[in-house]
Amino acid sequence: MKRSNAIGVTVVVSLLFLVFFIYPALSVVGEAFRTPEGGFTLGFVVEVFRNPVYVEGLWNALLLGVVSTLVTLAIAFPLALISHRYDFFGRKILGALILVPLVLPPFVGAIGLTHILSVTGSLNAGLIEMGLMDPDHRIDWLAEGRFWGIVVMNALHLYPILYMNIVASLAQLDPAMEQAAENLGCSPSRRLFRITLPLAMPGIFAGGSIVFIWSFTELGVPLVFNYSRVAPVQVFHGIKDLGGNPAPYALVSVILLISALVFGLTKYFFGRGSSVTQPRPKGRNAEKKLTGLTSLGCSMIFAGVFLVASIPHAGVILLSLSEDWYDSVMPLVLTLDHFQEALGDPLVVPSIENSLIYASVATLISVVIGVAIAWVVVRSDIRGRSLMDALVMLPLAVPGLVMAFGYLALSREGKPLHFLIGPGGSPALLLIVAYAVRRLPYVVRAAVAGLQQSNPAMEEAARSLGANPMRTLRRVSLPLIGANLVAGGILAFAFSMLEVSDSLILAQQAEHFPITKAIYTLLSTLGNGHELAAALGVWAMVFLGIAIVGAAGIGGKKGGLFKM
Amino acid sequence: MWKRSLPILILLAIVVAAPLVLRRDSEVAAAGQGDDKLVIITPHNDSIRAEFGEAFAEHWKERTGRTIHVDWRAPGGGGEIRKLVNGAFEAAEDLGKKGTEFDVFFGGGTKDFIGQANLGHLAPLTVFDDEPQWFRDDRVPATFSGETYYDPDHYWVGVCVSQFGIVYNKDAIRWIDEVPPQRWEDLGDPSYFGRLALADPTKSSSVTQAFEMLIQEQMQLVIAEQGDSPEARAEGWKKGLNLLQRLGANARYFTDSASKIPHDVALGDAAAGTCIDFYGRSFEDSVRGSNGVSRLKWISPIGGTSVSVDSIAVFRGAPNMEIAQEFVRFCLTERGQLLWNLKPGVEGGPRSRSLRRLPVRLDMYTPDRLKNFTDPDALPFERAGSFVYQPELTGKAFDALRVIFRAMCMDPHDELKDAWRSAAIEGKGSLEVLQDVEVISYDRVMNELLPILDGDDPLESARLLTEISKHFRDQYQRVARGEGGAS
Repeated sequence: MKRSNAIGVTVVVSLLFLVFFIYPALSVVGEAFRTPEGGFTLGFVVEVFRNPVYVEGLWNALLLGVVSTLVTLAIAFPLALISHRYDFFGRKILGALILVPLVLPPFVGAIGLTHILSVTGSLNAGLIEMGLMDPDHRIDWLAEGRFWGIVVMNALHLYPILYMNIVASLAQLDPAMEQAAENLGCSPSRRLFRITLPLAMPGIFAGGSIVFIWSFTELGVPLVFNYSRVAPVQVFHGIKDLGGNPAPYALVSVILLISALVFGLTKYFFGRGSSVTQPRPKGRNAEKKLTGLTSLGCSMIFAGVFLVASIPHAGVILLSLSEDWYDSVMPLVLTLDHFQEALGDPLVVPSIENSLIYASVATLISVVIGVAIAWVVVRSDIRGRSLMDALVMLPLAVPGLVMAFGYLALSREGKPLHFLIGPGGSPALLLIVAYAVRRLPYVVRAAVAGLQQSNPAMEEAARSLGANPMRTLRRVSLPLIGANLVAGGILAFAFSMLEVSDSLILAQQAEHFPITKAIYTLLSTLGNGHELAAALGVWAMVFLGIAIVGAAGIGGKKGGLFKM
Repeated sequence: MWKRSLPILILLAIVVAAPLVLRRDSEVAAAGQGDDKLVIITPHNDSIRAEFGEAFAEHWKERTGRTIHVDWRAPGGGGEIRKLVNGAFEAAEDLGKKGTEFDVFFGGGTKDFIGQANLGHLAPLTVFDDEPQWFRDDRVPATFSGETYYDPDHYWVGVCVSQFGIVYNKDAIRWIDEVPPQRWEDLGDPSYFGRLALADPTKSSSVTQAFEMLIQEQMQLVIAEQGDSPEARAEGWKKGLNLLQRLGANARYFTDSASKIPHDVALGDAAAGTCIDFYGRSFEDSVRGSNGVSRLKWISPIGGTSVSVDSIAVFRGAPNMEIAQEFVRFCLTERGQLLWNLKPGVEGGPRSRSLRRLPVRLDMYTPDRLKNFTDPDALPFERAGSFVYQPELTGKAFDALRVIFRAMCMDPHDELKDAWRSAAIEGKGSLEVLQDVEVISYDRVMNELLPILDGDDPLESARLLTEISKHFRDQYQRVARGEGGAS
């Protein structure tokens, strides 16, 4: 990449990032560094470390982040490897189905899970029916299994992120490398650890860093398990505290610092682009076609993961169909009334339209900017590119409410970001920017992994044969990292459709509500609010599910979505 | 490509068509299409917003012949509303404007309205001049059970009443071998350990108020026995804090979600919880079986609970001032008042579901009207009991109470639970040590801590919170280790 181009891209991207991420975040978090007289203080940060409850909260969050990432890897890597090496019965559809955790709607996902794990939930009801539990002495799963419950839920929710990134990485590898090792007498396990794993490292790092930061800063799952001594929950409670003390913002800045530090360290040790190989020659494929029991075995592994990961979804679906689901494995009386009431609500149709627009445009912006950033990080040698790479991960670590209040304050009349508010107070542009910024890390990580694995010699060849930079990008570079971009794009789109904090705070008028705010609004309906919200949640799941499986069907060539 | 895409596109079209087909009609004009507009910011739930929106649109059309778009802004609870409104006024002041985009503030505890009035964000309500006959002791009283029902300076007025109470699950109460709770103290019994769902006072002034009542009840009992003296107040305060401590020790969590508590109690995860009346009654009904029996029960506890109001106000410089004032008047008319509790479908009642709240006007509780009420037996004014809130006892410490509860129960919650298990359940640690609240004694709070907690230095306030929270954490850890215990 020409140095001048790299500098140009860096300047533009940095400016955008500065205006739309750092400025809003600092405008809120900065409160923790101001004295009442307007001076600078580190007093609140010191207070965070002086308070043992906050310190313990940080350790717990860190531990949850590390353990969740390892468990997620333990699920995703074998799946990705099986999918990469073998062609088995139902691979295409199962490969799409295991992405199902991506479509779990917020709020109601938690409620669905509660109905499974509650003392009168499906699990206990099943155990009682089988005579394995005394009905008067039930296990309180939500209270007793907090840490590991959160780890399991995180892993089951986040493994698609790692899975998609690893599959995309493996797809780039030249099978000749593994075959050579095999021919030279390398054992399968040695081959895995000496060849496959190191070569797949860009994908593992790309997905792993997102999974780590996500689990480290995860709010929803600990809230379901009522686990309050963990930093993100402490921030959430602190921000909403009527006292308005800025101490939680100091905690946010510590979380940001730790996120960046851990990202930097892991990148230093595991994520450097050491695995550039010759790209996989077209047509060269090491896939083994499995038959019989082995094929069925692989299918069962995928189906098993899909079924376990779908438990919260099943909870949401059953809740949306139930009259009163209590102390039974399944609801005893089923009804479609909640669907009629929820989908008939005047809020719903505009919210669907809004969400589709907001999420699509945000994804497009994320992809364009994400590729530009990845390009600079991988293909240029300008100074500070590693810093930019780390900075770009931070939107994942900033609590949603912090960003939302930052955008809100800066978009009022007379404030610098007011130009993002459209006629009639429409927050469409503001939400699109907010979604795009917060989803940028998915695309950047995927694109960086792709670029690290694709050989720059291909681009150099195109350039030396007379192609201009745009043509090189369009005809050579983008197709080479297409699989990675699809993975990043799907994540960005799905998580934009299901975004919570910005949607709740920034979309104030009913006609601008995205679908998550419509779900939240239905949740407060008296009496059957949970069931109504679950019904709209099911609608969102079905829509996103079809869209993702459809993308697999339409976009994927032989071998599935991430093998282009 | 198209051949492969078609089935997916057809499926997506079917999914998108479902809400289009099922969409319901509304009286309220769509955005940008009404002759008039009203912007209301509110913490009220969707049911209240929908029913009041429809009813006021009808009323406005009857009165003026014009259609109206009611633009509801519901960013969350009191904390979010305060941030939003204060931020909007700051921005408006920077631009030299008098008001913001908001017209009406509808719903929330009295303290939220007092806060906005003190900041000068509210406009005087014209309903006091237009309808003076409504503001008498037999209609909307100025005070009841010690609670203020409208602002003496006429910046806000209560429109419906509610009581904070207890919701419990009959099955779960049986599982813990308890009898149904009747008083707040009952929830402090160790049998509720891990089975109590508690509302979070740090995020809701209504909940803080309820907890303040709980302390007041204990103070009033001691004062009734010993006469009012600094010692009696201090002893009552300690008893109140100890009761809160026991509730905190039994709590499985503290939540600011109004629906989470009745939901979790209905599921049996919690045996009982603190809950506002209308959520309790709604959930009680929603899980009623075909035999007419509900496993859930909401009660107004005997003793320390008052009948408080949810208020309404008009913002200073409201863009639609005249309509905003009319909305306030509408809420106090017979039609607006009855909407709170009439059964759905009866004349003047809500369209789809009862709002389960109770009118503030005493003259609405007549037999002919009550027969159409969803909760004809609720009668808040008759059943309020003898408890009268006395602001002079704890009123000054209202904001500090949130910090105190957080430092005593929420921040060291894990340690408090361990200590409670050790002292009250296993009989190892010392209950006396656990319940030592000298660090937040009445005297210290009123004279030493209030100036810091209510002061202008947030850093000093944060340090104090850390200090008290650490003190209790250490204290609970000692009790959990069995120090000072019998064995």
